[in-house]
Amino acid sequence: MQFTSETVESLVDQFARLPGIGRKTARRLAAFVLKLPKSEVEQMAKALIAVKEKVVFCSVCFNVTDHDPCPICASSKRNHEIICVVEEPNDVMAIERTHGFNGVYHVLGGAISPLDGIGPEDLRIRELIGRVNGKSGAVTSEPMVKTKEVILAVNPSVEGDTTAYYISQLVSPFGIKVTRLAQGISVGSDLEFTDEATLTRALEARVSV
Amino acid sequence: MILKSIRLRNFRAHENSEIQFDDRANLLVGPNGAGKTNILEAIYMMCLSRSFLTSSDRYVLRKDAPHFEIEGVFESEKRVPIKVRVAFVPGEGKKIFVGGAPLDRFSELVGRFPVVIFSPEDQQLTSDGPEVRRRFLDNIISQTSSVYLDHLLRYGKALKQRNELLQISRKRRTAPDPMLPESWTEELIRHGSHLILARHKFVTDFSNHLESAYQKIGTVVERPSLSYDPFSDTSLQQLDLIKSDQSGADIVWSIDRIQDLFRIEIARKAASERDRGITLVGPHRDDLEMSLGLLPVRRFASQGQHRTFGMSMKLAQYEYLKERNSEKPILLLDDVFDNLDPMRIGAFLDILGSNAIGQSITTAARKEIVHDHLNGMSCHTIEVCSGGHVQPSLLEIALEL
Repeated sequence: MQFTSETVESLVDQFARLPGIGRKTARRLAAFVLKLPKSEVEQMAKALIAVKEKVVFCSVCFNVTDHDPCPICASSKRNHEIICVVEEPNDVMAIERTHGFNGVYHVLGGAISPLDGIGPEDLRIRELIGRVNGKSGAVTSEPMVKTKEVILAVNPSVEGDTTAYYISQLVSPFGIKVTRLAQGISVGSDLEFTDEATLTRALEARVSV
Repeated sequence: MILKSIRLRNFRAHENSEIQFDDRANLLVGPNGAGKTNILEAIYMMCLSRSFLTSSDRYVLRKDAPHFEIEGVFESEKRVPIKVRVAFVPGEGKKIFVGGAPLDRFSELVGRFPVVIFSPEDQQLTSDGPEVRRRFLDNIISQTSSVYLDHLLRYGKALKQRNELLQISRKRRTAPDPMLPESWTEELIRHGSHLILARHKFVTDFSNHLESAYQKIGTVVERPSLSYDPFSDTSLQQLDLIKSDQSGADIVWSIDRIQDLFRIEIARKAASERDRGITLVGPHRDDLEMSLGLLPVRRFASQGQHRTFGMSMKLAQYEYLKERNSEKPILLLDDVFDNLDPMRIGAFLDILGSNAIGQSITTAARKEIVHDHLNGMSCHTIEVCSGGHVQPSLLEIALEL
């Protein structure tokens, strides 16, 4: 089945490019947009364009921001001695939602994956080393503080593991503590229903109480 | 575990078939090409998420059909019914539902419905290359340990990534950043060493099962054995392991020690890895040496010995899985009786009839092949006609001794 309008069909094509959106959902979204008042569609379109026009990368942590440096890097209330390394900007949001971390971030922009053509030089690893080394090349207002800890909050995938190992080898010569997020049982779940692979990792990473 | 019933839609020869099974021995009979093996293939797919014959789901789709679907009702030993549904649509892929809930990862399925299949391809286990034996190892250990399966999947990914990296550096003829290969090597070793340790433990535990299985089927008293040597003698010598072995002390296999050996071996092969652009060390190149007495089966065994060895491996697999699972595996036998001598058929049917085996589902071209040797054992017979039409046999055989 096809829409009788090519214009609508091309909108469906655009929606279908989005991750997690199949053609069926794309059609549903297009039908929804058709019914919206023009003003709301304009708002939507403006938001899309603005993302490309206004958003820049923070020159310190490489998170997405409207102002460089980003509010987190510019804040004097944050602890600049602790850097939490993540793969993507979304991961920053995930950790911020916990309200449990007061340090600063470093967004790598992915993980090392030869199959996807991503090497260390494609990630912000050199910039991270510059930061912990106290030789940040960027023009920044980040207070010059000595890094005490680098927390590797990369994904527990094969690529994340390798990236963590790679970074830890580069950072540890500076005498900085390098840690990795704990892996194991998710909060609120039952031990009984936790799969063995996860449980094994939890056992390996057990802590004394 | 018992399979109570199965329904196939657009699966190979079957347009829409429904079959009820008995809790014990079942026999599927029918002419060649009727779709008997397809039924075993579908059962296997419900248990392990994939076919034992092909790696692509597209090939099992009935010609010109829009999708295929398998629906089965299992019953655990505690009499709890569990519904499993496998659905495949070209372009959208395969989905598996257990008790109505979709699985996020197919690996969650493995081990829940233990299964062992005997098929004519079992002969490859002793005659073909090491890949067949690695598959055997992986299949059986994964069904008893999801930790193993997790390491296996991660190892596969790390291996692909590392090979890609080797390829890239070979093309560029440079390795500017030594830390990068090392990072992938460490990831490879991290998962690979767990596979090696698990395979080593498996071979030790499995040997007893193999010996007793061989005695049940075979007539001659050669001793079957398996050995597994993941590392070369050179690297073992470097760690002084051979010396300690000669002094009579047992080599203790531990993760740390395997990781050390792995690193030595990788360092030793570093130059050839760079030249060839592939990973040359690790469990993906393992082999399992099978011997009868002192002679390797692959080179010295007769046809009959090959066959007996292959069947013993599978029977031992059944016993091994039974011992480690709370559920008895479902036993699938594809065409194994058609080319077997009467004495072995008899010995095998005795095993099927004994309490050692739970449910079994057998295919045969002619029912006489099996019925003539039943010796009083009852066998639920199902006729599969060409085009996949299925009907229970009018004659329920229960021969008196």
